[in-house]
Amino acid sequence: MNSFIQRSNAPDDHMMWQRFIAGEVAAFNDLMSSQFRSLFHYGSKFSRDREFVKDSIQDLFLLLWERRERLRDDVILKPYLMASLRRLMHRKSDLKARIEMEEFKGQEAPFELQFSVEQHYIEEESTLLLAENLKKLLNDLPPRQKEVVYLKYYQELDRSQIAEIMEVSPQTVSNLLQIALKHLKTHWRAEFLTFFLLHFLV
Amino acid sequence: MDRYKKYGVEDFVWDIAFRQWVLAPTREDETLWTAWLIENPERKHKVDQARQIVSALRIEEQPLEDQEIRDVIADSLSKINNTERYEVTTLPLVKRFYSSIWFKMAASIVILIGVGLYVKSYYSSLINPSYQAAGVPETEIVIEKVNSDDQDMLVQLPDQSTVTLSPGSKIRYVKEFTHTKRDVTLIGEAFFDVAKDPHRSFFVYANELITKVLGTSFRVKAYPSTSEVTVEVKTGRVSVFAKSDPELHSKLTKRELEGLVLTPNQKVTFMREAVKMVKTLVESPEMVLPKSQLPHFVFEDIPASEAFAKIGKAYGIDIIYDEAVLRDCPLTAELDSQPLNEKLSILCKAVEADYEIVDGQIIIHSRGCK
Repeated sequence: MNSFIQRSNAPDDHMMWQRFIAGEVAAFNDLMSSQFRSLFHYGSKFSRDREFVKDSIQDLFLLLWERRERLRDDVILKPYLMASLRRLMHRKSDLKARIEMEEFKGQEAPFELQFSVEQHYIEEESTLLLAENLKKLLNDLPPRQKEVVYLKYYQELDRSQIAEIMEVSPQTVSNLLQIALKHLKTHWRAEFLTFFLLHFLV
Repeated sequence: MDRYKKYGVEDFVWDIAFRQWVLAPTREDETLWTAWLIENPERKHKVDQARQIVSALRIEEQPLEDQEIRDVIADSLSKINNTERYEVTTLPLVKRFYSSIWFKMAASIVILIGVGLYVKSYYSSLINPSYQAAGVPETEIVIEKVNSDDQDMLVQLPDQSTVTLSPGSKIRYVKEFTHTKRDVTLIGEAFFDVAKDPHRSFFVYANELITKVLGTSFRVKAYPSTSEVTVEVKTGRVSVFAKSDPELHSKLTKRELEGLVLTPNQKVTFMREAVKMVKTLVESPEMVLPKSQLPHFVFEDIPASEAFAKIGKAYGIDIIYDEAVLRDCPLTAELDSQPLNEKLSILCKAVEADYEIVDGQIIIHSRGCK
């Protein structure tokens, strides 16, 4: 029912990774097949260029394969691959700018993510309005807060994993998350009140 | 579960345990929450609302076809299988070599030189900050070659392609090309002789223009100060497109040559201001056939159509004419020494025709000889 939520690593992830490190070509195939779609979804948050995202995932797997003898065998696959892909994509776009002799603009990395409301889950009009309001608040979050919320609630990663992926300290993760949730809750509550006030007045 | 007694909808929505119960409930979750709701009936409406919102709020994902995934995986597998074969053939040799005394001696010398170079590069990096950083993989070390001499400079690229860099020009590339692409950026003018590698397209970025080839030779002129960028092909086929092309990425990644394709002796001029590309012929086309196959252009009373066909083939240029009209124009001429434009002028004069160059092709206009 909720295909975008993966609560825990599949039990055979660890086995697959061991076989990959051991140099089994079949494991390369299995690993890439099982991880490609979710990595593509994640990578799409950093670039709208789907071919660039696909290329980056391919580069990632080829790189891991090349260096497999030096890789740790006890990694938790999902956050490990996400962190590697994020780093690789940022490096690639940075390098691309340098090779093409464009001036590096040092801007904040984008994190583009749009939430939507699937109406068939909603029974009442008032709930729909609430959901739409929350959607808008989520869509308007600044990139880093959005990424934290995404990794925490939609990828179900823990604080240290998020810190590793975003290359910040665990404390920063907690702070970002707190700011984001506080913003979401207070503004949402305010919208609530206006909504009910309007409801009673009209 | 006491904390939930004061929860509003907004608190439930961002509660991990609550979300797990909604999105992927276990039997324990189910029992726990059902019991809690019976004890706290006044929270039921809030829980219902929160549950619907958690289920309904989705992330919009880009669609991805299964076939696309299969294609990338197949391509990756072919790449790792290629390197695999390479490793198998070199490995035994290396192993034996490791243990030999010569290897150990050589290794110590290499280490000494390595330390020396490191120290040298460390000091030079203090003076001249370069892109090179310690620990960066070779595919990310950017090399820049500048020709500040007044003669052409020969640059060998990591894939054995060669670049003849004109004075005052510079190129950039990475120390080791990746598995998927070979990228070079040019400012100024250079002649490229690209090593064949069907798996890795070769790209030249020059001002607003991108030239894509698989293996061939061509010249690019892209000075920052001039209003035009040109690409001239000597051998093989290249495709050219603007950086602003809306389908840029697909053109960059597909193996096929798309966009404006140039064949030998053709030239494209990109007008930077007008953002317009014009295909024409190079100034002095050269014959493309190997020396042994070069024909003699001695025509004795043959149809003009045959003469044009022969010339077109030798230069690798499409000559378009009306076969039915020119078949009846007999021609006698000896044209071995003249350049192409003179050959064409002489032929046209003889059969009362004109020629023009359109879109990199030659078009013969004739009213016939009857």
